[in-house]
Amino acid sequence: MNNATTLSKIETISYLSEPLPLDPSRSLEIDRSMSVPILFLMRSSFFSFALGLFLVLICSMKLVFPSFLDGISFLTYGRLFPVAYDLFIYGWAIPLGFALILWLMARLSATPLSHVRIVTAAAHLWNSALFLGSLAVLAGYGTSVTFLEYPNWASFLLFVSFLLMGLWVLLLIKDREERPLYISEWYLLTALCSFPWIYGTANLMLTWGKIQGSAQGPIQCWYAGSLMQFWLTPVALGAIYYLIPKITGVKIYSYYLALFGFFSLLLFSGWNGLSALIGGPIPAWMMSAGVVTSMMLVLPMIAVVVNFYKMFQESEKLILHQSPALRFVAAGIISYVIATALSLVSSFPCFNAILNFTDYLSGTYLLFFLGFFGMTLFGGLYYFIPRLTGISWSSSKLIRFHFWLFVVGISLMVSSMVLGGFIEGIALNDPVITFTNILSYTAPWNVLVSLSWSILLLGFFCFMRLLVIMRWQMIEEKLPLSL
Amino acid sequence: MNRLKSLILIITFLFFLSWSGVAIYSYLQLGHLKTVAGSDGVLPPDYSGKAILGAQVYKANGCMTCHTQQVRQLDVTHSDIDRKWGARPSIALDYLRDRTAFLGNRRIGPDLSNVGSRLTDPVWYYQHLYEPDQVTAGSIMPSYRYLFHMQKIQGEPSALAVALVGPHAPLPGYEVVPTKDAQDLVAYLLSLKHDYILPEVSAETPSAP
Repeated sequence: MNNATTLSKIETISYLSEPLPLDPSRSLEIDRSMSVPILFLMRSSFFSFALGLFLVLICSMKLVFPSFLDGISFLTYGRLFPVAYDLFIYGWAIPLGFALILWLMARLSATPLSHVRIVTAAAHLWNSALFLGSLAVLAGYGTSVTFLEYPNWASFLLFVSFLLMGLWVLLLIKDREERPLYISEWYLLTALCSFPWIYGTANLMLTWGKIQGSAQGPIQCWYAGSLMQFWLTPVALGAIYYLIPKITGVKIYSYYLALFGFFSLLLFSGWNGLSALIGGPIPAWMMSAGVVTSMMLVLPMIAVVVNFYKMFQESEKLILHQSPALRFVAAGIISYVIATALSLVSSFPCFNAILNFTDYLSGTYLLFFLGFFGMTLFGGLYYFIPRLTGISWSSSKLIRFHFWLFVVGISLMVSSMVLGGFIEGIALNDPVITFTNILSYTAPWNVLVSLSWSILLLGFFCFMRLLVIMRWQMIEEKLPLSL
Repeated sequence: MNRLKSLILIITFLFFLSWSGVAIYSYLQLGHLKTVAGSDGVLPPDYSGKAILGAQVYKANGCMTCHTQQVRQLDVTHSDIDRKWGARPSIALDYLRDRTAFLGNRRIGPDLSNVGSRLTDPVWYYQHLYEPDQVTAGSIMPSYRYLFHMQKIQGEPSALAVALVGPHAPLPGYEVVPTKDAQDLVAYLLSLKHDYILPEVSAETPSAP
């Protein structure tokens, strides 16, 4: 930490700069160079997200009506639920994040993407692996390792296709026009390089090769934590650092805060996953490391949020009201604050004893995933898609519907999971209350969770509707790009 | 280019700090545990061939989505042991024989680390897998009817036929028998008992942070 910050302090000013404005014809050239893989990645990620929402809605209804679609092997909860979450992560969060990285990196380095066909082919390979892998899990070939359920061949193909996609971004950075690195690039570069590394390591230890069962627990938790802190967080923060200055025209409030936020996030990430095993079969130091780093992750959150808040304060209020992208980003930042606070609470061992294994933790994760990462990336999409396709959004009403349905859906879901989880945890901790009694306490909350998943599905349909209208317009105007 | 290089170096250094600290160190510390000699054989005992196949069925159907297999330490909570989910907290050595450690992260159903000590009758398992809500009122576990098959009774009823009462019970003249998968799964569940006393349990049990 020390050497990192001092080193960066010395070179701060030359290291970091605002993204330099691009010549419009140049930016058009860059956008054209990669619109095919980016629009393909986006399109397939929307499909996966819709499918994931639909499957997770079925799962949550199964908790309310256990006999709903039961007795069918490929629709059993234990297979359907992991597939839904894997679709969210590998079908939506990673391809969409990658599309964003690709676009931002090319724009920020003012360099068009070369070898577009290889990137597109790798994206096709990724999607085939995802689709076949999901079918295999439904057919009973899953590995039962959280977030690593795909069978070996599928996860290997995912790994290879990510490397194939990522390689060209690295080459793009290497060939870039010499210009200072912007803070967004730091975050995106971190996400881009660490994902294959953590995914490869976790698979090597847990699925491709199997280490002794006694060591698998910490690795499982490390992977789940790393996925959150080395992919979701940096991608979302990288997007926000780009979007706020671009839309409002306000400069970054403090570079020192930005640097501190970046390096402290990097320092504490990865360890935090261990807090999922408080009281579990791991050595004491691991538990302490998990507890301490989960608490410390509040620091990078505060650093970046103060920065963002100051930038919002300086910007004109009218822009905040008019820009749908900023509205989504603001919701993302608020979710980040609440999710970090919620996970701070559950990382205290005394609270964790009650909250572990309950819906509280699922709620925190979903707030992080859908609220912070999801809302931020939707904000990014509202900014990027019109620039990629050259067509502006057709209806501000549908955007408002999308926004409010998501805000209501996520809030309702997270609050019922957190409250329900608290009640569930207190009941679990009281051995006098029988297990079936606990289920009756959680039942009403499960109904609310099902309701909120359907609200989210409805909100996403509004977004899809906007895209369909845009596509019609493109066909009418005979634009070369396809959405 | 130099700036880019030093930035990448710092990122790499900080990343590898957690990577080596968690992933590699836990592999080195916990990945090479040795079995110990107990009073009645090697501990922890190995699974039978049927139980190993049963663990595959457990894996294929994602049982760990709702069931954990870990009894938490007493300095964190007493509730796991008070609920009779185990006589002692789980330790790393307990998972030595597991091909995949099904620690789990959600308790929609009870913990299963010691379900084989709690419930010893295979028939109970078959009935429960087929019609959970008939055996445990209020259970939200889904039915695993697809692990059974219904057949016409020819001559003597099968010795394995499961007595059922719910809406999916067989019609007269028919019987429901567990498939091989169901038999393996029940063999695995019955073998889940980490109640043996390990010589160094007390020394190895980590204390809370």
